[in-house]
Amino acid sequence: MGRYVARRLLQGLLTLFLVMVLLHLLTTAAIQLNGNPALAFFGDRVPTAAQLQAVSERYGLGDACYNQLGNPCVGPFLDRLAAYATGDFGTDLRGREVTEIVAVAAPNTLRLFAVVGLTWLVVGMTLGSLAARYRGRAADHGIRAGSILVDAFPVFVMLLVYKFVVTVPMSTWARDTFGAESLPALLFRPSFSPDHPWATVLVPGVLLGLAGSAAFIRLVRAAQLENYNAEHVRTARSKGLGERHVTLFHIVRNSSIPVVTAIGFVFAEALAGAVVTEGLMNVYGMGGVLWSAVRDSDVSVVVGIVTLLAVVTVVVMIVVDLLYAALDPRIRFD
Amino acid sequence: MTDDPTGGDRSSTEPLLEVEDLVVEFATSDGVVRAVDGLSWSVSAGETLAVVGESGSGKSVSSLAVMGLLQTPPARIVRGSVRFRGTDLLSLPRAEHRRYCGDHVAMVFQDALAALNPVYTVGFQLTEALVARTGTSRREARRRAVELLDLVRVPNAAQRVRDYPHQFSGGMRQRVMIAMALALDPQVLIADEPTTALDVTVQAQIMTLLAEIQAERQMALVLITHDLGVVASVADRVTVMYAGRAVEQAPVLDAFTRPAHPYTAALLRSVPRLEALPGEDEDAELAVIPGRPPELVALPPGCSFHPRCQRSVAGCRVDPGPALRLVAPGRRAACHLAEEQLADPPVPVAAPAPAEEVRGG
Repeated sequence: MGRYVARRLLQGLLTLFLVMVLLHLLTTAAIQLNGNPALAFFGDRVPTAAQLQAVSERYGLGDACYNQLGNPCVGPFLDRLAAYATGDFGTDLRGREVTEIVAVAAPNTLRLFAVVGLTWLVVGMTLGSLAARYRGRAADHGIRAGSILVDAFPVFVMLLVYKFVVTVPMSTWARDTFGAESLPALLFRPSFSPDHPWATVLVPGVLLGLAGSAAFIRLVRAAQLENYNAEHVRTARSKGLGERHVTLFHIVRNSSIPVVTAIGFVFAEALAGAVVTEGLMNVYGMGGVLWSAVRDSDVSVVVGIVTLLAVVTVVVMIVVDLLYAALDPRIRFD
Repeated sequence: MTDDPTGGDRSSTEPLLEVEDLVVEFATSDGVVRAVDGLSWSVSAGETLAVVGESGSGKSVSSLAVMGLLQTPPARIVRGSVRFRGTDLLSLPRAEHRRYCGDHVAMVFQDALAALNPVYTVGFQLTEALVARTGTSRREARRRAVELLDLVRVPNAAQRVRDYPHQFSGGMRQRVMIAMALALDPQVLIADEPTTALDVTVQAQIMTLLAEIQAERQMALVLITHDLGVVASVADRVTVMYAGRAVEQAPVLDAFTRPAHPYTAALLRSVPRLEALPGEDEDAELAVIPGRPPELVALPPGCSFHPRCQRSVAGCRVDPGPALRLVAPGRRAACHLAEEQLADPPVPVAAPAPAEEVRGG
C-alpha cells in the first residue's frame, strides 16, 4: 500500500512536470508568434527599445529568447521552477501576487464545485437508480431521453439562455415582489456577487451539475443493470434475502465501483465547465481568472493557475485510484 | 441386469418437494417460447434426483422457477405448482416465496466465481442470510462461518473466512458455495451443474462431498446436470429432459441399462467409453446424436425428438406428441415406441465412471 502510494505520487510529480513543460512551450510559442504582450502596454505609442525592455522585464518576459521563434526558452523555465520551489509564484501584469489572486478566487470556485458535485451526485445516483429499477418502462425511457437531451445541449448555450432569457425577468420580478436583498432575487441575479457568494452561485452550479450528470445517469444505470441480472445477485436472492437488502448490499454496492472511477473524469469535465460558467456568470473564481489571464496574455497567472489545477487533478486521480482499490478487493496494490 | 422393482421405487416416503405440471414461458422477440412444458418431479428426504438434459432443455429454468428466481418478465409461469411439504410456493407472493426457500430449499449454482459477490468476504456471505434473519452477533456469525467452512472441508477455515472469493481455487470456491447453501439448514438442496466449471479431479471431490453431506443430513438433493457420469455415480432417480419436457423418468440404474426413450439411449451412446461395447468396432467413432436441439420457437410437430430419432415412424410426426406414461413398474417415458426401446438388448452398466476411478487405458 505504502509503496503503491509512493509510486503514484512519483508518477503524479512526473505528470506535473510534463504539464509544466508543455505549458511553458505553448505560452512561449504564443508569445513568440503573437508578439510581446508588453507592446500592448504602450497602446498606440511606439516605445523605445529601453522602455519596451523595462516593461518586458516587469512582465517577466525580458529574456531575448521570447523574440526568437522556436527557441524553447529553457533558461526562463528553469528560473520559474526555481521560483516555484521557493514558493514564489510571481505576479500578474499589474504586480499583484498570484498567490493572493488564488486566495480570493479559489473559495468561489470551491463553492461552485460543491454545488456542481452535489447536484451531479444526487441527480445522477437518483435518476440512474430509478432508470435501472424501472428498466424498459416509461420512467426509464423518459430519464434516458432527458439525459441525452441535456447532453446534446452545450453548457454554455444553457447558461446563455439562462442568463439572457431567464434571469432578467425572474430577478426583476423577484426584486419587485420580495425586495432586492431577498433570496429569490439573489438566486436569479444574472451575475455573481461577492457579497452573496453562495446564493448567486447556486443556480449556475445546479445547471452545470445537471449538464455533468447527464452522462453519469447513464453510467449509473448501466452499472446497476449489469448487477441486477448478475449471478451473485441471484445467489443473494436465493438465500431468501429481502429485495431492499439485495439492492443495497449487492446492486448499489457493487455498481459503486465503476461509478467512483467516473468521479475522475467528471471532475476534469467540471473544471472545464467551471471556466465557461465563471466567465459567463462573472464569477471571480479560478476559471474566471484564467479566462481573463489568457485573454490578456498574462503568462505568470496562466502558468501558475494551470499548474495549480494540474496539481489538484493529479491528487483527485490518485484519491480515485485508492478509493477504487478500497471498494474492490480484487484490485491489489503491487 | 433386469428391472429391479425395489430399486425402482425408493420414493415410498412422503415427497418433500414436488413439482407438478410446471409450464414456464418466455417472451422473446421471436414470440413466446415454452421453455418448460408440463414438467413434474418430486424428491423425498435422503433421495437424490438427477435432472438431465442438453443446454436449453429447460432444466435450469425449472429450478429457478422452483426458487422464485426467474426474471418476470420475460419469464412467466403459466401453470403448475411447486409444493414444499404441501405448501404451494408458486401461490405465495414472490418475496414470501423467496423467504420460504431461504429457510427450506437452498441452491448451489454452477459458476461459483460469478455466483459469489466479489466485494464481500466469504465469511460475510456465508452468514449474510443468518444475520439478516436472526440478527446474530458478528462474533457468533464469524464462529458459524468457520463451522460451515469446516463442514465442507476447506482447510484453515478460521483464516479463510476473511478471504474474498477470488482468493480461492475453483474447487474451494464451490465448497464455499455449498457451505453457503447449507447455512440455514435446508431440507432440499438444488445443485445446478455444481461441477461443470471445475476440472475433472475436483469434480469428483465435490460430488463426493455433496453426496456425503446429503447422506449425513438426509437432505433431498436435486442434481441438475448434463454429465451422465455424475448421474450414474450419485443419483437414485433420473428425469431426462428434452425441449422443455420430461421424456423419461426412472431409477438411475434402469434408465442407464435399459433406457425406455430413444433420446436417453442416444445420450448414453454418446458418452465416451474406455472399452468398446461387445460387438462394437474398437475403432468406431463416438456416436453422436444427429442434428441439433430444436429451436423452442419452432418445435417440430408431434414428438419434438423425432427429427433426430433413429426409431421415428410416421406416427411420431403427428400431434399431439407422446405423453409421459407408465411403461414399466416405476418408470415413465414419453415415447410411442417405449416398449420397443425397452426390448433392445441392455447396455452393459454404463461406463460413465466417477472421475476418481478412471484409470489409464
